[in-house]
Amino acid sequence: MASATAPTADWEAVSDTFYRKIQLYTALWDADFNLNDYFLRGAPYGGALALWKDDSKPQPYRGPLSKPSIELYSSAGRLIRKIAWDKGSIKGLGWSEDEKLLVVTQDGMVRCYYDLQGDFTQFSLGNGAEEYGVKECRFWGVGFVALLGNNKLVAVSRYDEPRPRQLADPGLGEEGEIHSWALIPPNYTLSRHVEVLIATGATILVVDASETQDQVLQQGPFSHIAVSPNGKYVGLYTAEGKVWVISSDFQDNLSEYDTGMGNNLPIDMQWCGNSSVVLVWEDEVHMVGPGGVALRYYYDSRVHLVSEIDGVRLITTDCCEFLQKVPGMHLWGPAVGVYEIQTENVDVTESIFRIGSTSPASVLVDAIDQLEQCSPKADDNIQLIRPQLAEAVDACVKAAGQEFNVHWQKQLLKAASFGKSVLELYSSDEFVEMCEVLRVLNAVRYYEVGLPITYEQFLRLTPEKLIQRLLNRQHHQLAVKISEYLRLPTEKIYIHWACMKVRVSTDDEDTICRAVVAKLNGKHGISFQEIARTAYDEGRGRLATQLLNYEPRAALQVPLLLNMEEDEIALDKAIESGDTDLVSYVLLNLKKKHPLTNFFRIINNRPVASSLIESSAREQDRELLKDMYYQDDRRVDGALVILRESMEQEELSAKLEKLKLASKVLGDLKEHALESKTIDESSRLLQLQEVYEKDLPQKFLGLSLNETILDLIRLGYNSRASKLKSEFKVPEKRYWWLRLRGLVAKRDWGEIEEWSKQKKSPIGWEPFFNECLAARNSKVAALFVPKCTHLPAADRMDLWVKCGMLAKAGEEALKVRDLNALEKLRQRAKVQSEIGELDRMIAQVKPK
Amino acid sequence: MAPTIAIDTAQIREKALADLLAILEGVRGKKTLVIDQSLSGPIGLFAKFSVLQDYGVDKVHWLHDAPGDIAQKNILYLARCTPKNAHLIASQVKYYGKIPDQDVDCSAFFVPRRTLVCEKILEEEGVVGDITIGEYPLYFVPLEADLLSLELEHSFQELYLHKDYTSIFYAAKALMGIQQKHGLFPRILGKGDNVRRLVDALLRMRSEVTVDDALNSFALTPSSTIENLIIIDRETDFVTPLLTQLTYEGLIDEMYGIKNSKIEIDASLVGNPQQNAPAGSSSTSATSLPPQSGKKRTVVLDSSDKLYEDLRDTNFAIVGNLLNKVSRRLQADYEGRHQAKTVTEIKQFVSKLGGLQAEHQSVRMHTGLAEEIMNHTRSDLFNKSLEVQQNLAAGSDAPTQHENIEELIYRGASIEQVLRLLCIESCVGAGLRPKDFEFFKREILQAYGYHHILTLDALEKMQLLQQRTSVQTAANARTSYSSLRKLLRLIVDEVNEHDPDDISYVYSGYAPLSVRLVQCVIQKQYLQMTAKGGKGVGGAPDVNVVGAGSTGWKGFEEALRNVKGKTVDEVQRGEDKAVRARMILNGQNEKKMTIVFFLGGCTYTEIAALRFIGKQQEGKRKILICTTSIINGSKMIQSALVN
Repeated sequence: MASATAPTADWEAVSDTFYRKIQLYTALWDADFNLNDYFLRGAPYGGALALWKDDSKPQPYRGPLSKPSIELYSSAGRLIRKIAWDKGSIKGLGWSEDEKLLVVTQDGMVRCYYDLQGDFTQFSLGNGAEEYGVKECRFWGVGFVALLGNNKLVAVSRYDEPRPRQLADPGLGEEGEIHSWALIPPNYTLSRHVEVLIATGATILVVDASETQDQVLQQGPFSHIAVSPNGKYVGLYTAEGKVWVISSDFQDNLSEYDTGMGNNLPIDMQWCGNSSVVLVWEDEVHMVGPGGVALRYYYDSRVHLVSEIDGVRLITTDCCEFLQKVPGMHLWGPAVGVYEIQTENVDVTESIFRIGSTSPASVLVDAIDQLEQCSPKADDNIQLIRPQLAEAVDACVKAAGQEFNVHWQKQLLKAASFGKSVLELYSSDEFVEMCEVLRVLNAVRYYEVGLPITYEQFLRLTPEKLIQRLLNRQHHQLAVKISEYLRLPTEKIYIHWACMKVRVSTDDEDTICRAVVAKLNGKHGISFQEIARTAYDEGRGRLATQLLNYEPRAALQVPLLLNMEEDEIALDKAIESGDTDLVSYVLLNLKKKHPLTNFFRIINNRPVASSLIESSAREQDRELLKDMYYQDDRRVDGALVILRESMEQEELSAKLEKLKLASKVLGDLKEHALESKTIDESSRLLQLQEVYEKDLPQKFLGLSLNETILDLIRLGYNSRASKLKSEFKVPEKRYWWLRLRGLVAKRDWGEIEEWSKQKKSPIGWEPFFNECLAARNSKVAALFVPKCTHLPAADRMDLWVKCGMLAKAGEEALKVRDLNALEKLRQRAKVQSEIGELDRMIAQVKPK
Repeated sequence: MAPTIAIDTAQIREKALADLLAILEGVRGKKTLVIDQSLSGPIGLFAKFSVLQDYGVDKVHWLHDAPGDIAQKNILYLARCTPKNAHLIASQVKYYGKIPDQDVDCSAFFVPRRTLVCEKILEEEGVVGDITIGEYPLYFVPLEADLLSLELEHSFQELYLHKDYTSIFYAAKALMGIQQKHGLFPRILGKGDNVRRLVDALLRMRSEVTVDDALNSFALTPSSTIENLIIIDRETDFVTPLLTQLTYEGLIDEMYGIKNSKIEIDASLVGNPQQNAPAGSSSTSATSLPPQSGKKRTVVLDSSDKLYEDLRDTNFAIVGNLLNKVSRRLQADYEGRHQAKTVTEIKQFVSKLGGLQAEHQSVRMHTGLAEEIMNHTRSDLFNKSLEVQQNLAAGSDAPTQHENIEELIYRGASIEQVLRLLCIESCVGAGLRPKDFEFFKREILQAYGYHHILTLDALEKMQLLQQRTSVQTAANARTSYSSLRKLLRLIVDEVNEHDPDDISYVYSGYAPLSVRLVQCVIQKQYLQMTAKGGKGVGGAPDVNVVGAGSTGWKGFEEALRNVKGKTVDEVQRGEDKAVRARMILNGQNEKKMTIVFFLGGCTYTEIAALRFIGKQQEGKRKILICTTSIINGSKMIQSALVN
């Protein structure tokens, strides 16, 4: 770009600020292309334009072959893709901030075209959309709101997992007239939920998820509503043809402007940045700035508006322009224009800098001019601004970023470079960074790419997303170059390239595979899974398998393998990944798909899989578990399942039934005869318990054998207890213990005393002593001390002491002539008779 | 990424809380929290109910309760990602959807991640459209500064009975999280088949992270603050947890069952609830547990109670003495008021008073607890079973113990108690003799009910209680305690409980095999000396401690051959340049950390023993203990028990 028209040539003042209109691209379409016939929606951040025919206008007949379509163009008018559209009337079309194209049909079907190549996901709005039809839609960065035929609103706030939900009922019924409506995106509202402004009657309703609020205005009906990009302001077009700007909380009145168009309503109204409102009538554009001052532009044809965060794109058949407030505060020097970005420490006021500005930055830019002419004035300039030189350099660097014209970018950067060469200490980071960014911006602004993105937008969009946009446009080469240049990861680009290759290449599969692998080999972080999936989706199954083998992450291979019906491989890969969830997921799928026997065969030799099935079946699907055990010939496990079932039965007969079955299964197995027998025993016990329960005032069912015997003895049914003993072959030892505990519990001391007369006990006599003592009957306990003959005297002495019979203890001590123990006992003795007794014994033992 | 930072458990706690609050914040307005009961304990450790209230939680319901009146429009589910929970959530969402005129907004957060299976269940139940699904990546919960637990209550049962390796995967995820933050474990050592699985998963995750995050490869260079990771599969040593723990904390666990650092005890032991300053007020109110009716009170046992910190790891035998000392000191401190003459002195005393009262409260509670435990330990049943345990562990002829076990059954001891003994016998002695096996099977079924056929079957499947087979199975098929007893000196006869010189004090004479295995790596010399019969000199630290980590299992191959399962020894290297850079950045003489991970759970005694080793090596090494959950013998038996 050779010519150096003054950078302020396209500036215009609006009260005290400047606006500029930059021509970005020319000759977008051929002259015979009539933009009037189309609707146009542009993606934010200089993104693609979507055009579709306006059905309401008469169209020239182009023969039966012309099919309706949505056409995607770059801002420079280059066709990116034509998407065939046969779903009928389009009731809403818009873009998300990551350049997804959303198309909403009359019946509430939403298609989300996630790349610019016509691939889409689809969902339905529901909530009555089918019944009443969609009237209109409004979009924001990540979602949209649809207005239905019954004047209800449905919002979708994300596209990856869309969940359409109805907003509060505006209460207009089906007949209520809505003049216009708009929305405030969730991130700008207090509630953090989307809010919708509806103009009806003379007022505006604010609708959110839970309630509708009437703002009680009188200036309506408003034929247009527009919300500023930062959600703070609302522009309204009133019945008298005025533009009225208010704050979005309806508290402050900001400006009013009379368009003078009377009843001639504008076609569109959009914000230009956050400072002004742009109105369009067929060929006339008004830009209403702050304070109600307007600029007017005239065109030859219909103008379409695309609102951006920092301006607005104006699109006509023959050019694409960008209208914005000149960024930051600006100043106008005598020789050149330099705008300075507002920084905290610079006290910038228009009145100082406007005409005859001597701001350091503008002097610095002048200096570079002088330098090029080899004039010594260059140095004079520098000396003049020496104290503010650092500021001036900063300002030049920043101003360069705002410039679309390469000449002025260079000029400003040169000035900055010159300035900083004089400075001793200056961090060049920002300068370097700006140079890099500008290179990138210029590259993507090039008309063949057609992304007219501003510096502000670039910062907001982030470099990663810019790369994604390039990929959507198939500019892989440029994307790689930019990524490398900005030191960003490139693997995604390669993957994207490979996917495209797989899709569109007409080579045979081996060649494609070789080409892809050759290109991607040795690069970190390549997900072959994604490429393989693309191949599979394209119907190239073998290629998909080949590519999948290069995927290092087992877990990622699984879903695709499942799709490809490579079930067993999928299962193996899932097991290999160690992720049990993945294994379970595969198993769930396989179980649905395969007949049971086949399913069991698959899991049979994979222990990880079969244990997972086993444990989930144990909880949820007993029958499956039984089938599985049967299939595997694990008869014991099968019988145990039946046993478990029997425990869960309420009815005794059902319980017995199950037990019988379990016993039968086990009985067939020689090595489990014991278990089988035990189960029979348990049936027998249950039957007996049922009888007892009928006869005796006590619950028996569910008790164990020992507990049953114990309770019978406690209740005094000794004969029944001993019958149980013999029937179940209870060992003598155990029976003695149970009888003892039962009698003690019954406090049947007489019986115990009787019992103590027996000569021998299979469990010894100590337990008798202990149990009686524990029941606090030392008298009976004492009966058993002499019977504990196998104990040493000292122990027996302790037993006596425990019963509180010190004299008896003394006798034991006397037997072994233990003087020491006797003396200890003597000390403890309290009762006179015992003391006497013990003294006597001590005397016997004491050596004379 | 700050790979040079040493592991700080407080950060893990803060992160867990921050993540939780972010989730709560994501749902606008007042909300009802419906929580999986098994999560309330772990979450209560770091999130107080009042904090949840600040973030809009209005009410808390249990997930397993039937859905009832919900006052709030927003319902937030927080549940472990089990199919059962997914079904419960689905049915509740459906229930709320059917209530006319009620518009509810449900979101479900699965812990520790949203799984394909849960999503599929929600999908099949047809509620996917009505619910926002998210995840809450809660893996490690810090119980103490040196103790991280995954708090996976059922991990023991899943691993050894159901052979469900989910907890291994979560363990790997959790450890991977540490590696991503602090660098690779330079060396991973471990014993047990499940350890092999865990380490394989870790290695695989490492390579996958490299794939995912190609630019950040510096993050995955070996850590300079962590020396090694030692993983012990519970399966290698079932006997240790089966024995009755004899430290103070261990016995509390045996008696009351510590759950998420909390126990429920009789209110009278705690005393005046208002003054329950050290243990209670700091965190009891943490969860939303509805106040227990009756006289039970929940008490948090952690190091915020200084006295407890001193007592917890000591052998119970000396707890009484210690408590006496403390109460005498307290007495003296109170007496201090008489010496306070001047106004300043009085002022000083008064300022101390609050602390004294708190301490007093704590002494009172612990005295009460200790008394209760004492009553228990004096009981005949306890002593009989302890005697049997110690005899079995020491390798005395098993059948001689049978009479005692029989008597316990006849006297109506709990089934856990009896099975614990039989399992010890089986594990120590390679199974019971067929005759004994059959005898006890019959005794147990007749004493405790025939349904225990299932219990016995489960124990057999877990290889806890088996019949001795004559066929010699493959090498490493079971842990041979009889050889290890000598090789690693598991039995130490003279135990000084007051001033212990060996980890065996935690079981009054038996050194936990699992911890001995850790010593094989970090206290080689000491262990070699001990094993040769020479007494380890008062916990003399190894001379070549620094080099010790680099030799792995070296020197103890013979012992390892006698332990069940595969032996793992993996060295993780990074690019040389990066390693050197990191060494320069950190200097080399820093205190290194050993992470001990118990796969399948550990006991309080093992924690005590490791802390004891940590103290011996103070200044040279820090030990961080990680586990899937905290277990004890009863919990092990209960995992097989059929009710």
